[in-house]
Amino acid sequence: MRRLSSLAWRSLRARSLRSFLTMAGIALGVAVLFAALSAGAAMDAAVDRAAADEMGHADLRVQALEEQGLSRETVAVVRGVSDAAVVAPALERKTYLSASLTQTPSSKLPEPVTVLGIDVVSEPQLHDIPLAAGRLLAESDRQSALITETLSTDENLRVGDSVKLNGTAASGPVSYVIVGIIRGQGSLPDAAGRLVFLPLGDAQSLFGTTGVTRIDLGAAHGVSVERLSGELVATIKTEPYLLSQIQDLADSLRGETSDFRSALLLVAAVVLFAGAFLIFNTLSMTVAERGREVGLLRAAGASRSQVMSIVLLQALALGVLGSLIGIAGGIALAALMLSWVQSSGPITFSTPSVSAWSVAMALSIGVMVTLAASLEPAWRAGRISPIEALRRQPSGAVAGAARLRWLILVFGVLALAALAAWPRATGSDSPGTSVSSGIGSGTLGPLAVYGLMLISVLLLPFVLGPLLRVAGVPFRVFRNEERLARSSLARDRSRTALTVGALVVGLGMVVALGTAAQDVRRIGADWLAETIPGSELLTSIRPMPTTDDAIKKELAAIPGVQSVSPIGTFGVPYVYTTQENGRTLENVVRQEAAAIVGADYQTDGRLVFVAGGGDRRSAFAALDSGGSVILPKSLADSTGVHVGDSIEFATGTNLASLKVAGIVAHTLPAESQEAILVGWPDALRIFGVTGADFYAVRYAPGQESSARPKLEATATLYALQPSDLSRVQGAFGDALDRIFRLLDMLALIAVVVAGLGMVNTFSMSVLERGREIGVLRATGMTGRQVWGMVVIEAGVLGLVGAIIGAVVGLIVGALLVSWSSGGFAPIFDPPWATIGLAVLFGFLVSIAAAIYPAGMASRQSIVHALQHE
Amino acid sequence: MILEARNLTKRFRLGNRDVDALRGVSLQVSRGEFVAIMGPSGSGKSTLLQLLGGLDTPTSGEVVLDGEVISHLGDRAATRLRREKTGFVFQFFNLIPLLDVYENVALPYTIAGVDPRHGETAVRIREVIEQVDLKGREHHRPDQLSAGEQQRVALARALVAKPAILLADEPTGNLDYSTGGEILDELWRSCDGMGQTIVLVTHDARAAAHADRVLVVGDGKIRDEIELGRRQDPDPSPLIARLTQLGL
Ligand SMILES: Nc1ncnc2c1ncn2[C@@H]1O[C@H](COP(=O)(O)OP(=O)(O)OP(=O)(O)O)[C@@H](O)[C@H]1O
Ligand SMILES: [Mg+2]
Repeated sequence: MRRLSSLAWRSLRARSLRSFLTMAGIALGVAVLFAALSAGAAMDAAVDRAAADEMGHADLRVQALEEQGLSRETVAVVRGVSDAAVVAPALERKTYLSASLTQTPSSKLPEPVTVLGIDVVSEPQLHDIPLAAGRLLAESDRQSALITETLSTDENLRVGDSVKLNGTAASGPVSYVIVGIIRGQGSLPDAAGRLVFLPLGDAQSLFGTTGVTRIDLGAAHGVSVERLSGELVATIKTEPYLLSQIQDLADSLRGETSDFRSALLLVAAVVLFAGAFLIFNTLSMTVAERGREVGLLRAAGASRSQVMSIVLLQALALGVLGSLIGIAGGIALAALMLSWVQSSGPITFSTPSVSAWSVAMALSIGVMVTLAASLEPAWRAGRISPIEALRRQPSGAVAGAARLRWLILVFGVLALAALAAWPRATGSDSPGTSVSSGIGSGTLGPLAVYGLMLISVLLLPFVLGPLLRVAGVPFRVFRNEERLARSSLARDRSRTALTVGALVVGLGMVVALGTAAQDVRRIGADWLAETIPGSELLTSIRPMPTTDDAIKKELAAIPGVQSVSPIGTFGVPYVYTTQENGRTLENVVRQEAAAIVGADYQTDGRLVFVAGGGDRRSAFAALDSGGSVILPKSLADSTGVHVGDSIEFATGTNLASLKVAGIVAHTLPAESQEAILVGWPDALRIFGVTGADFYAVRYAPGQESSARPKLEATATLYALQPSDLSRVQGAFGDALDRIFRLLDMLALIAVVVAGLGMVNTFSMSVLERGREIGVLRATGMTGRQVWGMVVIEAGVLGLVGAIIGAVVGLIVGALLVSWSSGGFAPIFDPPWATIGLAVLFGFLVSIAAAIYPAGMASRQSIVHALQHE
Repeated sequence: MILEARNLTKRFRLGNRDVDALRGVSLQVSRGEFVAIMGPSGSGKSTLLQLLGGLDTPTSGEVVLDGEVISHLGDRAATRLRREKTGFVFQFFNLIPLLDVYENVALPYTIAGVDPRHGETAVRIREVIEQVDLKGREHHRPDQLSAGEQQRVALARALVAKPAILLADEPTGNLDYSTGGEILDELWRSCDGMGQTIVLVTHDARAAAHADRVLVVGDGKIRDEIELGRRQDPDPSPLIARLTQLGL
């Protein structure tokens, strides 16, 4: 042995099972962390790709806020902006292929297509349009189209064929000759590959409009994006618009994945935390076991830091190896995760991305956590006195008990690491609240959850005594074994606490996630039930004109249909003021809004008015007569608006002021916010809404099944897609279930890590008690009884862990529920079946962990045990 | 004078009771001398030895080793002392089970950061291994050795760096008579042949008879001092006679 540090490696090798299990624990933690990081990176990449697809080479996008789009005047003004080198206006609308409408049976609508009317000259300058066949559109082309490869395959269309698109009632279906096929899916993520490009003029006449939905801009050479946007802001005075850069687009898309990503990171932190218990405990046991050797080294002249560095080197070796293995495993895990989740909204995930950054991050976090967890045992080893070598009896307390409060250090390291890896917050500063799926993307909540786990483990030693007695009850039939097992667990409280702590943390997370999942599902259902006046939705891909009520009347006349209520959703330019350095600033943000018929809501009894939220009847009446809005409580609270106040919207060239007639607990869930409710007269007059996006249908009680076929047939005639509200809820719930089940699986890994720790603890305790077991055997205990003693020890420990884990999980779950409830009465309704399964799993893991050490104990030779020094 | 203790006391706190293990011990050891400390169990022998070797600090009094006061050293200085001046042999646990004979003997060098496999160091290690009669067993592990052989390895390790003083606490306590005798003969030879200063703690008169001088400890104090002188034959009868005379 050339260097003292070699002792570290030899000690690891001498206890190869223990070292291997510890390394496996670290590896599992790092695997989950790395999977979370690289899945996150893959989501980021997918988002960036989607944003880049959308924006192409454009520097800026001017987007219409109102339904009828940006006017011809605005397009002309933008074309006149001198700093813009390229100006590419486009009109995006959804419609149906006429052929597919006539072919399909009436009960089911075909997939719609997205039409993009483009400026054939400037569009290709800002957006790549890769062709698989044919050519691009030319300026001289009339009645010509490009379609995507996907659509070409779906509908069996080739270059030279013609494609017939449904337009307005006035224009009727129009045919276009396909001049080229765009490779793949095309660049609009929302279109799902069914995309048709037309010359802008053709598209405008097809849909009977003169407007466009967006104008993409390329800055002139040497002009900064800031300058260009400054000039646009100064120039466009004609109507409200939204100005965005690629970053804004990416940010808003990213917002959709950030909840999921932070939940992933939280679970990864919990698994790593469980891994830290394993390291802490294993090294503590090693130090206790080798206490006299340490004393001997000290007597022979080893310094405190030499002793400490032997322990730290062991930790480092385990940490580095474990992390590397974990990273390799994490790549596979990330691929599994992504294929399980598949997509979020319009963004589809592909393969996990492995970057140098994420490898370095996972490696350094893995190693840092390992080192943090090993500092205390190392410090304790350094404190061992050289006198220990003289002791006659190898006293178990050579190194003293592990001090659990050092876990706070590990906690801190992990918390900092998680903060470093936390998904960047989105840049939106709008006052609305987002619809959360449980664990928010803020950092405070997860930190609290995680802190609660720490606290419960720190409290463990205090509740251990009584709990061991309670958990021992089921094993009372084996009186002696049970007592011996219990006393062995009570011997070193901190070791037992560390062993059971990992189990508590893992099970706690599983139970908490289960509780939160149940609640989020319920909130989703409650939300729709509270705000939609019907049980069936008839959705349209294009606004249905509400100017004449013909469709509504026809639907309502169907026997068994009680009410039909049109609802339109749209964006409004909401003006809110903020105070900054004593100045009052006016900001305009896009806020989502919905047009409703107040009278229908009054009859159907939807919406819950909050205290001080105005009178129900008069609020709905005010909505229908115009000039008023109803606000969701979240928005009213965040802006400090009360009933009777006015709020302003930057429509057209001047401000429109509407009075707040009511404040309700929740309104319709829009894309990412709760909608401001507006009456139809205002929607049409002020906000340029052209029609309803869906009808909410309420059946007369008991007549649903008889009325439905007729209703759906009629709806399909008007290209309305019927969907049952419970199906909408179901789809929402299923997507969430997938995510929660994934998180559950990952949290279960923490339980497995806890199992590895138990194998270590039980093996160690069997080794330590070798002499004691020898005496028991010599006085007549059978090998089976010894086996039973160790397994019962595991059973008691597993029960304790499961009980505390379930309690901690329920507390954390309740917290998550109260945070995510968003004003819905938080109903604490834990999923008992899931909890039962988790508890059983934890218990079985403990028993399984004891099998090997129990076998070891029962096979030990009596003679050997008794002469064992 | 290589080692001097002045009025050492040591008080332990056991729960809420004070135990006075040493109640004022003074002694002197000359360079090259072999001193044995005898006394009944619990008389404070081990405690005294720990103070003499700087493993522990006295409650009062001081220890001077090789001209340096070692009784109140900080951890760093105490570590240096153990590396440079003292060698220990204990009754029970003397070897690192993970290391072979050669590595255990080489431990003081390894700890000091000297590569023990080459040069003068290696020569010295082989020499000591030969001295304790373990040549050819260099690569055996402790669990492959008998108790006596293990204790000889421990002795070799204590001697290898030529410490100013070798301190042994009941090195034969765990061995049978003839094996213990071999260890004591080794100790005596290293003293007589190489001038190694030795302090041996034992409650066995036959072991103490190897020493030049015997200090009898009782109840935390030195009760008597018996000068035997350097003898080739460790005949215990004069010592036993004297002890009997003292009523011990
Ligand atoms: N660390 C300690 N804490 C408390 N009391 C101690 C400690 N070490 C020794 N003692 C007490 O001091 C007294 C002297 O102990 P010491 O070990 O020095 O005796 P000894 O002469 O070496 O005995 P033995 O022959 O049995 O080894 C004893 O009463 C012992 O109980
Ligand atoms: Mg003693």
